[in-house]
Amino acid sequence: MATSGTIVMPGERIASIEEVAKTKRVILGPGLRRVDDTVVASKAGPLRHKEPNTFWVDNYQRRYVPARGDLVLGIVRSKAGDLYRVDIGAPETASISYLAFESATKKNRPDLNPGDLIYARVLNASADIEPELVCVNSNGKRGKLGVLPDGFFFKCSLNLGRVLLRENCPILAAITRQLPYEIAVGVNGRIWVKAHSLRETVALAKAILALEQAGYAETDKVCDNLGDYLEA
Amino acid sequence: MNLPVKVAVAKDQLRRMHCEFNPLSRCDGSVMYSQGASVVISAVLGPVEVKSQNLSIDGSYLECNYRPKAGLPQVKERLREAAIKDILDLTVLSEAYPRSKMSIQVQELEDRGSMDACAVNSACLAMLIGGLPLKCSFAAVHCIIDEQGDYVLDPDHSETAHQRASFTFAFDSMEGNLLLIQTKGAFKIEQFNDIECLCRSASQEIFKFYRSQIAKFHGASQDIKANHESMETI
Repeated sequence: MATSGTIVMPGERIASIEEVAKTKRVILGPGLRRVDDTVVASKAGPLRHKEPNTFWVDNYQRRYVPARGDLVLGIVRSKAGDLYRVDIGAPETASISYLAFESATKKNRPDLNPGDLIYARVLNASADIEPELVCVNSNGKRGKLGVLPDGFFFKCSLNLGRVLLRENCPILAAITRQLPYEIAVGVNGRIWVKAHSLRETVALAKAILALEQAGYAETDKVCDNLGDYLEA
Repeated sequence: MNLPVKVAVAKDQLRRMHCEFNPLSRCDGSVMYSQGASVVISAVLGPVEVKSQNLSIDGSYLECNYRPKAGLPQVKERLREAAIKDILDLTVLSEAYPRSKMSIQVQELEDRGSMDACAVNSACLAMLIGGLPLKCSFAAVHCIIDEQGDYVLDPDHSETAHQRASFTFAFDSMEGNLLLIQTKGAFKIEQFNDIECLCRSASQEIFKFYRSQIAKFHGASQDIKANHESMETI
C-alpha cells in the first residue's frame, strides 16, 4: 500500500528518491520529473511511495491525461474514414479503428454512431500523438470492452473512478448485496450503470455519487446506508 | 455600505491571506483568494484542445484572461493580464503537454489595494490545485513608499491614495529569482534595493501559506485514509 508522505511543491528537489536511485532503478510517476541527475517535483501534493521503487505526487487533478492500458469510457463523436473519433475527456479526442472490435473485418464493420458509449482500453498515449483506443484484447476477444447499450451514464471525479477500480473495493460489494446491476467505470471519471428498472438505475447512480462527498472513513457508513438511497 | 472590516496590520506586514479551493465546479481547478479585503477568483483549464492557429508542437499555448469587477477589461486590466502571462511563461512547464492549451481566468471580486500581487498569487494557487505542471511556484508582493517616505508592505486601498512610488515584485520559490518588476513614481535606487529585500522576505511568507493550504487540502483526506488503513489491518 502507498505510504502517505510529506507535501512537496513544484520545483522542489527530492533527495530521498535520489538516494534510492543510487542503488536501484526507480519509477517516477505523475508530478515528478528528472532534470539531469536530480529528481524534481512539478506538482503540489503529498509524495507517495509504493514498494519497491515507484514514486508519485498525489494530486486531485480533475482533467484526465491518458496513459497506456487505462480503461476509459468514451462517447463516439464522429466517423472519419476508417477511424471513429471518441471523446474521453482528455485534451484531445481519441481515435479507434473500425478493426479494433471483436470479429470486425473490412466487410463486417461495427455499427457505431455518433453519441454511442464505448468502454475501451487506451492502446497508446503520448503527449505528442493522439491517443488510440481498442475494444479487443491481444487475442482478438472483446472481454468486457465494447459498446454499452442502454443504461445510465454520468461523470464523477477522477479520484472516485480510481477508488471504485481498486482491487476488492468495498463499495461495489456493498451495493451487490442490495440489488443486481452492471457497472463500467473509466479512470477518466466516467461511470455507466445498468440495473433491472429505471428506478433502480437512478438510485444506483445516486448512491455512487454520494460516495464522492464521503471520503474514505465514511465509506463504510455510506455503504451501510445504501438501502436508503435505493429506496428513496 | 457593507464593507469588510479592515484588520489593522503593521506597515511591514502582509495583510491576512485566505483561500478556498475549487469553489467552481466546471473548471479543472479554481481558487478564491483574498489578501486583506482584496478578493479574486482564479480558474484554470488545462490541458485542453487548442485552436490550430495557436498550436505549438514543442509546448503548450498559454492563455490568460483578467476580468474586472464590473465592465469590460480596459488598458489597466490588459496590463495586469500581460504581467500574469509573463510570469506564467517563465514558470509553467509547457513542454509537458505539447499541442494543448492551458487557460487561466482571473476574476476580480473586490479591489482594495495590491491587486496586481493578489491576482498573481491566486493564479499560482489555481495552477497548483489544477495539477498543471510548474517548474516552480511563484509569489508577488506589492509595496509602496508613502508621503513620509516610509515603506508600506501590501498596502490597503486607503493607504495607496497618497503614495510617492509603488512597486510590485514577483519571485520564484526555488532560487528566489525575480520574475517581474513593476514600478511607478519617483524613488532612489537605495529605496528600490531596500524594498526588493523587504518584498523578497515577505514572499517567503506567501510560499509558506501555499504549502500550508495545500497540506490542509490534502490533509483532510489523508488523515481519514490513515484511519482506513489501520482499520484494514485489524
